[in-house]
Amino acid sequence: MDEILRGGIPYGSTVLAAGTCGSGKTTMGMEFLVRGALAGEACAHFTATEPSVKLLENIRQYAFFDMNMIDSGLINVFDMDVLYSWLGLDKASFDLDDVHALIKAIVDIVNTIGVTRLVIDSVTTLCYKIKSEQLIRDFLFTLGKKLATLGCTTILISEITSATENAHWSSFGVEEAIADGIIVMGDVERMGHLLRFLQVVKMRGTAHSRAKHAIELTPLGVMLTPMLKWGAVSDKTSKWGQ
Amino acid sequence: MYELDQRIAEQLTEVSLSSSVQVRCGNSNAFMVTASTLIPLMQMFEMGGVYICATRGAVEIIEAFNSIGVDVSNIQFIDLVSSGILGGTDVPYDNITFVDSPIMLESVLLRTLYTLRIISSERNFVLIDSVNALAIYNEERMLAEYLHTFINTFRQREVLSIILNIPDQVPPAVLSNLDLYCTDLIDRGQVVIH
Amino acid sequence: MDKQVQFSKEDEEFFGSVGSFGVPKFDNAMHGGVPRGFLVVGFTDVGSGSELFAKQFTSPAEEPDNTILISTNESELEIARVYNKYRWPTDIGVRTLGEEYNARVLEKELLASRYRLEGFKLPDIQRLAQTRFVDDDTQDFLTEMTNEIMAMGPYFRAVIDSLDFFMQREDPSRVVAMLRMMQAHTQLHRGILFITVSKDTITPAIKQEMAAIADMVCDFKVRTIGSDFETSMTVTKFRNAPENLSIMVYRVTPEEGITPETVERIA
Repeated sequence: MDEILRGGIPYGSTVLAAGTCGSGKTTMGMEFLVRGALAGEACAHFTATEPSVKLLENIRQYAFFDMNMIDSGLINVFDMDVLYSWLGLDKASFDLDDVHALIKAIVDIVNTIGVTRLVIDSVTTLCYKIKSEQLIRDFLFTLGKKLATLGCTTILISEITSATENAHWSSFGVEEAIADGIIVMGDVERMGHLLRFLQVVKMRGTAHSRAKHAIELTPLGVMLTPMLKWGAVSDKTSKWGQ
Repeated sequence: MYELDQRIAEQLTEVSLSSSVQVRCGNSNAFMVTASTLIPLMQMFEMGGVYICATRGAVEIIEAFNSIGVDVSNIQFIDLVSSGILGGTDVPYDNITFVDSPIMLESVLLRTLYTLRIISSERNFVLIDSVNALAIYNEERMLAEYLHTFINTFRQREVLSIILNIPDQVPPAVLSNLDLYCTDLIDRGQVVIH
Repeated sequence: MDKQVQFSKEDEEFFGSVGSFGVPKFDNAMHGGVPRGFLVVGFTDVGSGSELFAKQFTSPAEEPDNTILISTNESELEIARVYNKYRWPTDIGVRTLGEEYNARVLEKELLASRYRLEGFKLPDIQRLAQTRFVDDDTQDFLTEMTNEIMAMGPYFRAVIDSLDFFMQREDPSRVVAMLRMMQAHTQLHRGILFITVSKDTITPAIKQEMAAIADMVCDFKVRTIGSDFETSMTVTKFRNAPENLSIMVYRVTPEEGITPETVERIA
């Protein structure tokens, strides 16, 4: 990834990792945190899509992950539904006050622990509770701005149904505009088989590669290689539900 | 005692770790040529490595070597064939991993890279068996591109690449690419007249 | 498969077939008291004295450790004060769900307000990072209450004052379902269970359903006569003994608590 990005993700960036289901977003996000923790950075993961117990159980199979990082507080995993409960937000939808409370809580946590790497998985699930599109925009914009001020590099994981060239990477029409970087992950179908791919569409401040890369989720982490150009002749980008 | 072609071993002494060797064989001598290439690498040069099985399943290859008294337990096999057979991945060897299909060429490359990272041997090879089998599933230009990438990837990493093929059954574009990019040639190809 | 409860001869002799209402004059009018195994439901008006009646109902306390008052509106202190005033036994079981609700649920809401206003401190964040599950055990008071009754042994005496708390927070049909379970348990174990519910908190359909489940139904009323209030309890249902349908007009005295003035039969 660092090669593709010609060095890495610039500090303080908010990166949208938009992907279809099973494309490796959570694994990539967790590896991003683990590599940071290994370098002594304080890291945080907010999980909204799956309970942290299940997340940690699934991530244990990867050799790059060490449970000691969680136990020692180098990587802090927060369940969004526990956070909602603590903030009195266990309700069906959030209003303006609730959104501000949530932003304040996340920023508080980042600021107090000194988090420099943050993953929110997924921003799509989080935003489902915010009923107005305007409020979603405000939420994402304000959150991104505050986190950048604190020097926190953030990956917002977003779930999309299609990773085609003409697709939008935002579920709510706004994430791709406010993000400093966009990494798209999905599947290509080749003769009935699915191959995972990753492509950096945007990364402000870097002369990144825009090539499509095949990825494997190995116990050592995410491994990438450029996709074969002649493969594109027969490859179809997979869309869920079709 | 199984008779190997000693001249192959002699030719192998002239290659380096960043070499890429095209090994040609015929239909009737494929196993002999493969064994004559692999056994010196393992025994004489004490190398470990990855054997990419596109022609036959890894179990068949392991058992063929076992039958001639050669232990290949320190070689890692990437089996591209057995996933297509029901029950084919239920095997009694722990040095075999599976890729769903020979068309998933990028996955093969990544799996090979991963395997090389986890094995303990310092000097390694990767062996593709064979280009012909890959050519059944993959379009000519794509396969040519892949082999080019494959050779360059392992050359950069100082991993010896061995590419088996039966030349008269390999698409011309692919064969000409192999001729161009491989640094060495071991030619035991046979023309069988029926 | 029918569950059989064994009753000893001594218990049968000791407890008999009826138990006191806690109001001796009313017992006399009702042929000794309330039959063992009865669920008594009281539909109440505000100011009718039903809360005092409910407490007085526990006062016979044949077995104090098998007697319980479950209150949703009052504190333990208030209840103890009333029992001491009328010299009723204080060694019975008392559960104040209202106080528990305040402690568990309202406290949680206070904490949420604090976090929203003041933010998280480091110990809070560390605790949050280690909390893997939402603390859900604070919420289901209905199940807790039902379990409390279901755990009572043979010849128990229990009072629930009142079901309004649950009607306001739960699906009424779920409350009625729990009522059925408690009725079955009461019948099987020859217990006596008295439950109050305000008429204003339930729909006519729910009232009808509850009345159908109950073995005895009492209607607590209050009416103004001139400048005075008259409190009365009408027995509108008495299973298998319609002759017991009656109206009891009562007042509260410092000596006896609920003190009947007249008891008139209506059947």
